[in-house]
Amino acid sequence: MDSRSIWRGVFLAVGVVAIALAVSIRMTGQGSTREGRMPGGAPNLNGIWQAMNTANWDLLAHTVRPAVAQPGVYANHPVLAAPVLALGSVGLVPAGPGVVEGNEIPYKPETAAMKRDNGEHWLDRDPEVRCYMPGIPRAMYMPYPFQITQSATKIQMVFAYANASRTIFLEDAPKPPADKWMGHSVGHWEGNTLVVHVTNFNDRTWLSRSGDFHSDALDVVERFTPLSPDALRYEVTLTDPNVYTRPWKMSMVLYRQLEENSTLMDFRCLEFVEEPFLGHLRKNQLVKHWEGDTIVLDVTRRVPDGDKKYER
Amino acid sequence: MKISARFLLTFAVVAAATIVALTQGKIPGFRGDASKGDPRTAWGAPDLQGIWNTNTFVPLERSAQYGTRGTMSEEEHAKALADLQERNKRPGRDSRDVAGKPGLGTEKDVARAYNEFWFGDKPARLSYRTSMIVDPQDGRIPALTPEAAKRIADKREFLAALLQGTSGGRPGPISPRRNDPSPDYNLDRVNRADGPEDRGGPERCFGDGVPVVLGTGTFGGVMQLVQSPDSVSMYYDVGQGSGYAWVVPITNRPHLPSNVRLYRGDPIGHWENDTLVVDITNFSDETNFHGARENLHIVEKIKRVNANTLSVQFTAADPTTWTRSWTAVQELEKTDEKTTLVLEGGCHEGNYGLMGLLINTRAAERAFREGRGPDPATQDNATGGGDN
Repeated sequence: MDSRSIWRGVFLAVGVVAIALAVSIRMTGQGSTREGRMPGGAPNLNGIWQAMNTANWDLLAHTVRPAVAQPGVYANHPVLAAPVLALGSVGLVPAGPGVVEGNEIPYKPETAAMKRDNGEHWLDRDPEVRCYMPGIPRAMYMPYPFQITQSATKIQMVFAYANASRTIFLEDAPKPPADKWMGHSVGHWEGNTLVVHVTNFNDRTWLSRSGDFHSDALDVVERFTPLSPDALRYEVTLTDPNVYTRPWKMSMVLYRQLEENSTLMDFRCLEFVEEPFLGHLRKNQLVKHWEGDTIVLDVTRRVPDGDKKYER
Repeated sequence: MKISARFLLTFAVVAAATIVALTQGKIPGFRGDASKGDPRTAWGAPDLQGIWNTNTFVPLERSAQYGTRGTMSEEEHAKALADLQERNKRPGRDSRDVAGKPGLGTEKDVARAYNEFWFGDKPARLSYRTSMIVDPQDGRIPALTPEAAKRIADKREFLAALLQGTSGGRPGPISPRRNDPSPDYNLDRVNRADGPEDRGGPERCFGDGVPVVLGTGTFGGVMQLVQSPDSVSMYYDVGQGSGYAWVVPITNRPHLPSNVRLYRGDPIGHWENDTLVVDITNFSDETNFHGARENLHIVEKIKRVNANTLSVQFTAADPTTWTRSWTAVQELEKTDEKTTLVLEGGCHEGNYGLMGLLINTRAAERAFREGRGPDPATQDNATGGGDN
């Protein structure tokens, strides 16, 4: 027996056993490192994820500004207006560098005007304010977490916001008989990238709090590519000839929550939107300043005693 | 010599595979048992996935005629099936005679039937099981504690008081309790529409309560289950635009702090051999599960019995509501996924009913004030047209 061959064999055997043990530990989730792949080799997308950007406020590059504004002393420096006036710093839109390729959404001239008008009437029109299902892609970058449950045939995403959810079919599924708020998602793997084609949208969802919208002709292609076990590159291309002059693309990163006590808790907004939208229909109104179907908010903010001593 | 080396390699690969199998076998729910031929996921857990339906009818509680018998005889089954099929011929109808007069074709007969279009197919099959409840032995929800009996009676009296003097209530004048607040967080259909809180949970699109049992009978519910090594994600379609998502994390974290109260509770899952065990606590006062509210504790056990059957067993305990805990088993059947798609809910998004109801009630009050119509307090707007 050639001793070199034996040692080569033993060496290989030890190596194989070590790899098997490592794989085994990673696959069962008992090790300190998260498994990067599912059995079968697909990237492991399981977990609770969230975008860390300001896309839900404004998809384009923007500085800080009031969520609801009124003219200030300088034309280009609006100030906080009711109903967010009393919120102070909490009533501001956080600044962000934008998520749109080329920093431009190619609206047609008439739809560009509609977007501006939507932005000016954001509180009246944004379906998010009404706790409606957010649609795709908006659900992916709202400032709330979502949970991915990934199997070989389906990927289920459940969003904290409004208990919205979507199923991504990796195998054949029947076409939906009607349009859906969250669309109909069919996916496949291209190497490490999950590619999802989303169709069958209604025209009721928005893309941001800045009035970005689409029609029921919207066609969405999403690409999820792992950057690490805890981060995904999320790219999405939107095509809608009724609203945009050409397809356009957003790109951002989704992050996995690593907290030990991380868990998906419902953002149950349903009953909290009854007062703003049905309050005027109460027999005895809780808010005393409804005028017909118009809510009139008197914002009262008393200067705190502590501040008064500096104002003498 | 080369043969020896190859042998060593083969041995090593076999050993490695064995170690993988053993290591995974130590983790409950990950133990493969190919001899049974039961469906398994790629990572060796029992495969609970699919779209599951309740097309075979089993009542939650047992009819008294069966006593402590869990199954019916052939003869009993044939009769019960004939009754079910007869009922299915006229869904939503109530054709019973009233005070000796034929009920067929009256307003009462058809008042609830307009809505049947949305309720899906009726279960056409009937199980031999006499009830889902397997413990206690009589197949019925155990007696209420005195405290709960009083709480529930107080609420019933409140509901009855607001119906007093209407066509759906007891005789009498308009109750002095007309403007009282509900004694509990109201989920019932109160005969009043001062605001959204007076309307039932379904009218406010709260969705069904606790996701451990799928409705049978009126709602032909389906549930879609998607499974990964660290979570099980279920979508319950409970009919008429009401559906909800529910994720069970498979984890050993403790329950949320007790001040955190959730409509559908805080579920935590773990595997015990081939059964997914889900412990659910932290319910809220907006929960109502057969009379139990925020103190409800449920232990759910989900098991794939065979290719076409998912067994969902749950034990419900609440010492502030029932004198003892009780256990029920619902067996769900697999639906063909090539032809079936579970649609999203969208109840809240299309809920013009709640708004219309409040608008209409305010208009009726105005008409009454102006002498153009009856006092809305004398009208029954609670007992017709729905499940509540």
